[in-house]
Amino acid sequence: MILPIGPIHPGLKEPLRLKLHTQGEKVLKAEIDYGYVHRGIEKIMEGKTWQKCIYLAERVCGICSYEHTQTFAETIEKISDVRAPVRAQLLRVITNELDRIQSHFLANSTYFKAIEHETLFMYVLSLREHAMDAIELLTGNRVNMGWNVVGGVRMDAKNIHLDAILEKISLIEKDLDRYTEIFSEGPLVGLRSKDVGKMTREEALKGRAVGPIGRASGLKHDLREQHHTYRDYLDFDPIWRKEGDNYARTMNRFDEVAQSIDLIRQAIDVLPDGDIRTKVDIGSGYAEWRNEAPRGEVAYMIETNGNLIKHISIRTPSIMNIDSCAKFMLKDVATVSDAVATYASADPCIACAERVAIIDVDKGETSKDIYNLK
Amino acid sequence: MSSVIWYLYEFARKSFFEGVTDAKSKHDIVEKPDRFRDFPEVLKEYCIACGACTQSCPSPHAIKLVRDGDNDDGEGQTYPVINTRACIRCGFCAEVCPTEPKTLLCGENHLIREEFNIIPSKRQYTVDDFLCIKCKKCIKSCPVDGAIIERDNKIAVDQSKCISCGNCLEACPVKGAMKGVFIDNLEDQKAIIRLVVNTLEEFIESKEDELQSLPSEKLLKLQLPLSKIWDKALQILPDEEVALEVIENATDRLKIRIITWDESKCEKCRLCVDECPTGAITYSPDENKVERDSDKCLRCSNCYQTCPFSVVKYFIAKFLLDEVDGEKVILITLKESQLANR
Ligand code: SF4
Ligand code: SF4
Repeated sequence: MILPIGPIHPGLKEPLRLKLHTQGEKVLKAEIDYGYVHRGIEKIMEGKTWQKCIYLAERVCGICSYEHTQTFAETIEKISDVRAPVRAQLLRVITNELDRIQSHFLANSTYFKAIEHETLFMYVLSLREHAMDAIELLTGNRVNMGWNVVGGVRMDAKNIHLDAILEKISLIEKDLDRYTEIFSEGPLVGLRSKDVGKMTREEALKGRAVGPIGRASGLKHDLREQHHTYRDYLDFDPIWRKEGDNYARTMNRFDEVAQSIDLIRQAIDVLPDGDIRTKVDIGSGYAEWRNEAPRGEVAYMIETNGNLIKHISIRTPSIMNIDSCAKFMLKDVATVSDAVATYASADPCIACAERVAIIDVDKGETSKDIYNLK
Repeated sequence: MSSVIWYLYEFARKSFFEGVTDAKSKHDIVEKPDRFRDFPEVLKEYCIACGACTQSCPSPHAIKLVRDGDNDDGEGQTYPVINTRACIRCGFCAEVCPTEPKTLLCGENHLIREEFNIIPSKRQYTVDDFLCIKCKKCIKSCPVDGAIIERDNKIAVDQSKCISCGNCLEACPVKGAMKGVFIDNLEDQKAIIRLVVNTLEEFIESKEDELQSLPSEKLLKLQLPLSKIWDKALQILPDEEVALEVIENATDRLKIRIITWDESKCEKCRLCVDECPTGAITYSPDENKVERDSDKCLRCSNCYQTCPFSVVKYFIAKFLLDEVDGEKVILITLKESQLANR
């Protein structure tokens, strides 16, 4: 039997149709249909100035909006061959890690909701609020921060802001270990999570899974390693696990939150005085840039004429993660509720994923399935 | 087992009981931080109506400039209005607003930076469909692939791809088919055009005697040095390149109709009075005189075509900006129209 879930369903954060092929309670395989929130942001951006596009880029994703502005700004900086001042680079790290903390907490709490552990769901969400507060204090808004510009960041962080951030992250740290332990030690939680929705390393490679989802399956790949700021000023080593099940994915995210807290502390320690923004003579040309968003690799490919964006294409991590979830995690899952939990553990973010379609020009067909290419 | 103890421990903690007994929102949740970016606040009185905010806004229909309070003494105050249903609270308008103090306040305000040039480029290139002969020389000269395209049998410039190099303008063999329009000071450009037209008309009208005595089918050639207009034009728009091009374009295309009125020939038949569509020609019985009010006149030439006694003469003036003896002058050519003789 095919059991449809969605597009609008309380178990899903965002609209998407999950078709589960079931035999009794057992889920044999799954299909995923996208296309409910396509907004064509790339097309809107074409022919606009970069100053406007950076605010539009922020609106590609509703959860990890920050990384999009940073990647956009860094792509244009690459075209113009400049680097933001060191202080701005480190401020970007701080905001980026705060954003990662809140995104990972949201992902984990959604997972806890999916396995019906409402206590932990509420706990983790209330912990996330500290990260949101810190972001709001620093940048002015909670989600769409408007913090990056080409050549640096918009506002300087004063000492009171840095102190407040340190205070907020110590509040997070105080409870983080406890909640992680509730999750990792709980036998019922373990029963629902361990060995469920397993994806091996080979499958993850084949599905091009990225971010915590790939890392939980043994792909030791984190673009922060290659980023110049992390490489030059911070001590960073990616966190990864081998198991590749729901448990590993959730734990990987918890561990990355602890690591992000550490990175923020490091960044505040080495934060030098100086400018937060340089004037950039926007060059014309084409460049690509990749960054590690909370969900994995975000890539921007921009072509500009020095003022207007001529062409832009954005690759977001969720498209690969959702597809590998449908192909490899959701096969032979014991129950339907486990299938939903597995889907939640892949941290799907639909709004930003709605940008891929394969068009067969000869046949005039459109398909969203990137694995069955002929 | 260990987890059961964990659960019990969870509920036995002091902060858990505190939370249960004191279930209130804490203050820090409801207070907004200093940097909080709400919808922009507008302080009308500082606005200079530059339009930078509307140009910069990334969200369509979020911000609009309105003017109110117009009365007989003059124009009222222009100021921006924020549509909160479209505004995305990015605060960009507040950032680009050049007034001191700022007209728009949105979160923590910043100084305007040079890199925030809002107008994409100084010139915008467009093709005049009417004049274009579709030789496609511009497409060949364009260094950008796809910036000039042929669509529906028309040549058009794709503004999002154009890099404003100006090659097409040089390559175009037809004068005026490819236009490089300066886009960021349109109002000033209009003012210059008005200045040119008025000055030229005044100049020609001061030469009415020469016109009257001009034998038909002869041309009258006049010259007006550009310096008569130049200083005033620069006061309006202090950019020589733009000003010169505006004047050149204006004179190239300008055609002024001149109506002359020779009182002495008038026989008071009053045929023209009824013909005139604007009532510019009036007959006063007291003085027994037909008069034309040149301010109301449309230069439609109806009176010229009606008058049986050649009181009215009708000339057409054409212009050319040229250099004579190292000085820029506007060459004026006047010719009597042959309409009535046909
Ligand atoms: S805050 Fe942003 S969206 Fe709102 S009116 Fe100003 S520029 Fe437009
Ligand atoms: S940018 Fe400022 S001064 Fe200019 S129109 Fe807008 S509010 Fe008025």
